[in-house]
Amino acid sequence: MKAADAMRATGTMKAAGALRAEWTKFASIRATVVLSGAAVAVSGLLAWLFGSAATRDYTEATAAERLRFDPMDPAMRGVFIVQLLVAGLGALIASSEYGSGTIAASVAAVGRRRLVAAKAGMTVLSALPVSVAAIWLMFGVSMATMASHGVPTLGAGDPAALITLLVGPLVLTSLALVGLSLGLLARGTAAAVNISTALLLLPVFATVSPGWLRNVIGVYWPNTAAFRALSADPDLPRLLGLGILAGFTAVLLGVAFARFESRDV
Amino acid sequence: MIQLSGLTKRHGDVLAVDDLTFTVRPGAVTGFLGPNGAGKTTTMRMVLGLDRPTSGTVTVNGRAYRDLPQPLRQVGALLEAQAVHPRRSARNHLRYLAQSNSLPERRVAEVLDLVGLTDAAGRGAGTFSLGMSQRLGIAAALLGDPPVLLLDEPVNGLDPEGVRWIRTLLRGLAAEGRTVLVSSHLMSEMALTADRLVVIGKGRLIAESDLDAFTESGVLVRTPDHVAFGRRLELAGARTRPGNEGELLVTGMSAPDVGRLAAAEGVTLFELAPRRTTLEEAFMELTQDSVEFGAAR
Repeated sequence: MKAADAMRATGTMKAAGALRAEWTKFASIRATVVLSGAAVAVSGLLAWLFGSAATRDYTEATAAERLRFDPMDPAMRGVFIVQLLVAGLGALIASSEYGSGTIAASVAAVGRRRLVAAKAGMTVLSALPVSVAAIWLMFGVSMATMASHGVPTLGAGDPAALITLLVGPLVLTSLALVGLSLGLLARGTAAAVNISTALLLLPVFATVSPGWLRNVIGVYWPNTAAFRALSADPDLPRLLGLGILAGFTAVLLGVAFARFESRDV
Repeated sequence: MIQLSGLTKRHGDVLAVDDLTFTVRPGAVTGFLGPNGAGKTTTMRMVLGLDRPTSGTVTVNGRAYRDLPQPLRQVGALLEAQAVHPRRSARNHLRYLAQSNSLPERRVAEVLDLVGLTDAAGRGAGTFSLGMSQRLGIAAALLGDPPVLLLDEPVNGLDPEGVRWIRTLLRGLAAEGRTVLVSSHLMSEMALTADRLVVIGKGRLIAESDLDAFTESGVLVRTPDHVAFGRRLELAGARTRPGNEGELLVTGMSAPDVGRLAAAEGVTLFELAPRRTTLEEAFMELTQDSVEFGAAR
């Protein structure tokens, strides 16, 4: 019993050490820190842009169009760009070690399993606050922009806004873990970011695709399914939409871990 | 102690490391020698669990590397000195390694001081010269005060003073009872640093013994009939190899016996002198069949 407790204690200590090391790595290079700040800043900027555009549209709209107006739509439009930055942040947590070659020293220091676990932990620890800041800022800036011109807006407590404010950051954090997995699989920043950008922007082509493909990339694609689940009138059951992203993230992370375990560093 | 047993690594069709079995003892500097591409780095990466062996095993102090609870306290390694993030300071590079194995923060300052990088510790490692990078790599290897050290070509890029510094450092670490394995492709450097040598070529073990055993006595013979006389010496049981123009390096036969044989055969000798083969020559001879990227002769 005592021995088991001691083992668990040292296990916790080792995990904590690996995580602290990841934090030092994260905080001591510019790219990760700049990218975190950029994700938040871009969110605010896009929210102001889309909020202003929506204001213009609303003023010129007919009464029928005004009835269909959903202020969450312009408020969250920027997430299509911000998701790329947050996923890039996750990718960088793995890929910066390949670019510089420190991956060998890191694996030798903590082993493959604990390194991946610590990187997943670090991805959540960095992406979650960034996502919360990004989405809340996006909401606040766009609502304030629209409200100042008399366009109807939603309060943070409104159920339609609340689900986005609470679950949205989790969706973005999940995409950061997708980025991390791609970083581990592609073993380089450029490749990982290119793949993740292509993956996340593919739904843009939904409207010009034939029927069945339009459904796959426009409705069931992991990031689209999750974003649609946050809207006031989701076209999939909410849990299904979020479940698709959660499942996709779990499978991709599992594949990345298995590949990392089995191959030479 | 590092023990390799039948260690083999295959990359596709290429056998990078072929059935290596040897032991690296504590309390000595063991030189790990071989021409470029002989498999030294791959072998060291397998010791550290970075490359998976195709077959065979390797243990450090009786345990597989991946089973070591806090590896940096057991094994210190320098593989590629310039594998550091160029924008990260030397101090932060060492800090994250120390944190990963719960080593006290003060070790960072201690090893920086030990390798003489204290003044440069705040600079990005990308601004370092190769020699400074080597020192940073050695600092990282010493961080956990480990009983086993593996250094891959640590004198590369060091100036003569740096080379002497590392020689003294390694000899001191071995004298404290540590296991020190140092790879090099320079026999002359190992002659001054190592107590024991392990020589590999094309992934195979060529020789493993104390340094003294590598230098052997021989006889230098200069004669106009060097081809025929060389053949005659071989028949008499000596081993020969051509030296410079008209020279033969004879081993396995004493100088007087070579002289007598020449007299009996009526061979004119211009020169007959006993000499010790240098370690460099011994290395060239040992590895001449296994040079991976040799120049055409």
